[in-house]
Amino acid sequence: MTTGALIFAYNNEQTDYVAMADWTAKNIRRHLGIPVALVTDRPTELKFEQVIIQPADGDNGRWFGDYGTNVKWHNQTRANAYKLTPWSQTLVLDADYVVASDQLKTVLASPQEFLAHRWAYDITGLNDFSGLNYFGAYHMPMWWATVMMFRCSEHAQLIFETMVMIRDNWTHYRNIYKNSNGTYRNDHALSIALGVVNGHILKHASIPWNLASLTPDHQLTQLAPDHYRIDFVNSDQKPRWIELHNQDFHAMGKKTLGEIVANPC
Amino acid sequence: MNTEQLIAHGRARFDHAAARRVLKEKYQGKLTFAHAGGMWLAGPELLATLAACTGPTSVLLDLYETPVKIMPNEFRDLVRTHWQEQMNAWLVEYDQLSKNR
Repeated sequence: MTTGALIFAYNNEQTDYVAMADWTAKNIRRHLGIPVALVTDRPTELKFEQVIIQPADGDNGRWFGDYGTNVKWHNQTRANAYKLTPWSQTLVLDADYVVASDQLKTVLASPQEFLAHRWAYDITGLNDFSGLNYFGAYHMPMWWATVMMFRCSEHAQLIFETMVMIRDNWTHYRNIYKNSNGTYRNDHALSIALGVVNGHILKHASIPWNLASLTPDHQLTQLAPDHYRIDFVNSDQKPRWIELHNQDFHAMGKKTLGEIVANPC
Repeated sequence: MNTEQLIAHGRARFDHAAARRVLKEKYQGKLTFAHAGGMWLAGPELLATLAACTGPTSVLLDLYETPVKIMPNEFRDLVRTHWQEQMNAWLVEYDQLSKNR
């Protein structure tokens, strides 16, 4: 059995996702000791165990608050992860997921065929994520596609093939779930797919801890390897900060993470 | 006591509570581990359950509600060790947090 990570990275005019993936791959190798395959649309000189060339699929536009503009967002190939992965057990990670510990080894040791996070929370405690942990007018529970572990199995294959079906018929599924968000999101497609594949029981095996998340309105700096500081302004407009040691988190703001990637400790 | 002092105190308590919550979330993950094909949360509840297992093997429900056969004596040592390692690390970080406060 081979175990490895898979990162999707498509650069746009604002963010060098491939450089971000390279930085994340180094963290993955250091903490998890597994190889990393990159899925992108052009050859790169950066070192990955495998580079899988896959044309950018779709041109979603999305508002990025940290850049203050709409940017192109190539996120639609992720549903092909099952088809593209070179590994028999795969850990799919967002390029902006900061691996600062060996926590994900527990996920890799799990006997489950598919796992993702059910709950995310704001590290600063300022933002209520209930609007992000559910989607659509029916308040459907959302599973996060930020971290996904799957093994080659019929179950995992069905989940990803259903995601592809949902992606390719996004308007239809968006209407069924009365999702006001027109932009295709992998989190929504995954959540719908899990419902379909598991018989709409709305209870699926998930990673047994919550996804620590940092929203783009906060400032992230790296103090040392695996040691980060988050500066934010509280509801009284007072500056506050919090430090993270050896804790994985999802850096939703690409701008500050991009600066760390360009000048790592 | 004046109102400003009270507000400042309340805010400091709020910030401290937020930092404590982040620590709790972090160690919730670190206390989770895989063993014998199951996923477990190390802690007093699991240890109490294991204390009730007297035979050479027992079947327990893991975090995914899957029945898993384990060897209680060996598993108890593993749970206790993992639990205390993580709790000690939690204490170190908590003390640091209190100093910062």
